[in-house]
Amino acid sequence: MAEAIVVKPDLDFVKGVIAAGGSSLKKCYQCATCTVVCKVTPDKNPFPRKEMVWAQWGLKEKFQGNPDIWLCHQCSDCTAYCPRGANPAEVLGAIRKQTIKQYSAPAALVDIVNNKAMMPLVLLAPAVLLAVLLSIAGTFGIPDGEVIFSKFASTLFLQIVFTPALIFGAVVGVLGVKNFWGDMKTANNVSSGDLKGSIIKTAKEVAGHEKFKTCDVSADRYTSHLLVFYGFVAAAIATAIGVLYIDVLHMDSPFSLGYGTPVKIFGNIGAIGIIVGIGMMMSNRFKKAEQLGGVGSYFDWLLIAIIGIVGLSGFLAQLLRIAGVAPIAYPMYFIHLVFVFSLFIYLPFSKLAHMFYRGAAMCFNKYSGREAVADADNSIVVTGPEDASEEDTKPDPEEPTVPADEVGSGEEKQ
Amino acid sequence: MSEHESNIIVIGGGISGLTTATEAAEAGYTVTILEREPFLGGRVSRMNKYFPKLCPPTCGLEINYRRVKLNDRISVYTMSEVEKISGQAGSYEVDVKLKPRYINDKCTGCNACTEACPVEIPNDFNAGLDKKKAAFIPTSQAFPYQYVIDKSACKSDCGAKCKEACKYDAVDLEMQPETLKLKAASIVLATGWKPYDAKKIDNLGFGTSPSIITNAMMERIASGNGPTGGKITRPGDGKEAKKVAFVQCAGSRDENHLAYCSAVCCMASLKQITYVTDQYPDAEVYMFYIDIRTPGTSYEKFYNTIKDNENVKLIKGKVASVTAESNGDVTVEAEDILAGEKIKVTVDMVVLATGMQPEVADLKLPSDIKINENGFAVIGKDQKGIYAVGCAKDPMDVAKSVQGATGAALKAIQTVGRLS
Repeated sequence: MAEAIVVKPDLDFVKGVIAAGGSSLKKCYQCATCTVVCKVTPDKNPFPRKEMVWAQWGLKEKFQGNPDIWLCHQCSDCTAYCPRGANPAEVLGAIRKQTIKQYSAPAALVDIVNNKAMMPLVLLAPAVLLAVLLSIAGTFGIPDGEVIFSKFASTLFLQIVFTPALIFGAVVGVLGVKNFWGDMKTANNVSSGDLKGSIIKTAKEVAGHEKFKTCDVSADRYTSHLLVFYGFVAAAIATAIGVLYIDVLHMDSPFSLGYGTPVKIFGNIGAIGIIVGIGMMMSNRFKKAEQLGGVGSYFDWLLIAIIGIVGLSGFLAQLLRIAGVAPIAYPMYFIHLVFVFSLFIYLPFSKLAHMFYRGAAMCFNKYSGREAVADADNSIVVTGPEDASEEDTKPDPEEPTVPADEVGSGEEKQ
Repeated sequence: MSEHESNIIVIGGGISGLTTATEAAEAGYTVTILEREPFLGGRVSRMNKYFPKLCPPTCGLEINYRRVKLNDRISVYTMSEVEKISGQAGSYEVDVKLKPRYINDKCTGCNACTEACPVEIPNDFNAGLDKKKAAFIPTSQAFPYQYVIDKSACKSDCGAKCKEACKYDAVDLEMQPETLKLKAASIVLATGWKPYDAKKIDNLGFGTSPSIITNAMMERIASGNGPTGGKITRPGDGKEAKKVAFVQCAGSRDENHLAYCSAVCCMASLKQITYVTDQYPDAEVYMFYIDIRTPGTSYEKFYNTIKDNENVKLIKGKVASVTAESNGDVTVEAEDILAGEKIKVTVDMVVLATGMQPEVADLKLPSDIKINENGFAVIGKDQKGIYAVGCAKDPMDVAKSVQGATGAALKAIQTVGRLS
């Protein structure tokens, strides 16, 4: 029998989850329908039922090094079947937001970026910063003549400003992952595993969007997320080729190679992927609002907005450049730069942080052997009543139930 | 249109309505019972056993039938449906449509019409588990013991074989619907409940395999006068159902279906577990629950008895996925919350503990009678003459229904005394 558990609720954590979109949290009555309909949870210590009670009780420390909230892909199948409208999908999203703070430093930035009231600051600060830097560079304004964006922001400027921005975002994310990984190992009593194999398997899973395929309610998110994901991959390739042209081949922008060049092909494919994917995400959120238990939180929409504007402004800037409408083309390009910059610096603080932490959690699930076990057996099959340990199977229905996962999750190790 | 006046009209001839009617009549008041079906007894007549005493419902029902039969202050209209209620306390008018039975009072219950009838229809008394003839007696315990013909199922080319077969000239295929105007000082709604349509719970697989049944079907299967003669076998292939999973809250306590607790399903499933374990000493029974609700000393004792049965495993965690296997078995999936793992159990038969839905929502009531968001009747302070009893008012078991019905008889009598 487990020892008595003294629950030390962290009320601020509960309030934080509720404020972050988990307002339905307290409706949960622990029936575990969510866990059963979830297609991405492992069978041992499954989610999201246990996360719901932890969050209700304010057991913040339970989310320290918890891979499960990140294994959740927010398919919302749980929400569609939830008998209480407790919306586990949204609650887990809110918990994720709360726990990003534990790993992405400085934590205050997570609060600022995801606070609706701070929206003007969050969106304007990068714009002001870029305007100031461009003014220092002496190029802030609408140049005469043919529309050439490097007249507005030189290649050197982009490299000096954007490369550190991306490095900042990436470093914060990687450091966060490092801490998260250590916490996951401690919390789950895992000391070693096949890291390389796990990373390869995770990369394959992400590349194929395997987990999204299992969703029912948000089956369409497979396509939309795939488009946005590969849109960014294409955009990254375009950028890499651009860097190659400039730094290795010493060509200067604008590249006089026309629209058949890989830069333009990848860039435009990327833009279209992002725009179409984000458009689908937006429309699906409205179309399925009832099943999803709402259209989503500010946390969701901030990322949708930033990515959508990055894609759209980039694409429009190109069209305006071709059309030669300088008075709009340059401002549009400026908007594009501002949002790309925002994307980079907010990378580990916005919802986009999921690329670090979900990736790490998926990898850890393989590293710890938990997923392998689940895959091999596919399920835990009960063969007879004699299998049951006495005190676990005959609860007193009048007493509040303490979930077994309270006892410690050491056994989820292989 | 014929007219009839009594002190009290009871709508519904199930256990609640019978109780209200007999209690009021035995106190000296005239009562009219309106029953939609061709027989009295309602849902209880379909049960195998009452909980927690596990005695058959026939005893309780037969006493009430006898009370009705011997009391000339009670009038019974079977196959009657309320079309409209008007008026106010002290002088209600109820328009009733009497559906033709096609069998008149000369019927002796000889079964000749059934034997002659060439048409088979689903047997609704047995929850559709078997068939019956279109000329039939609804149940071996039917009161009144009078046959019925479902003329909508009659084939035009059968040549009225039932009419030819009846020696007593009891078959009258020309019988017409009648309308009836009833007057009374007080009305008691005892319209009862119906099982929630399990097909609507799409993740519980009802309809995908005959091995997935409802608790209402289980009562019929376990009943001696049911489709299997009381042998617990699964529909479909008739295999002995020794390994059975009970799925609690199938639709109840679920905002997507019935938002409320149906109050009886926990005790009903625990009772049905005894049907299985009594019949098969090597039974292996699972009951998946959110919480087991067995309030009160006797129910709690009953629960503890089942809990201590080593052939029974009670698992905390709602079943949210039911899959039919090709060999007729069924796999249920749940999270065993106390063990902290997702489990699958493959069984011979799954019993969905479907909840109860009030019938009263379908009744054409005067506008001042309110129905709450769950479809149950809400009798407010301003409705001085209409009372709701049993499952028209709330989900409840037989014992509570009978208690409430007795109380309602007194309330109705007081209305009669005050306003007549």
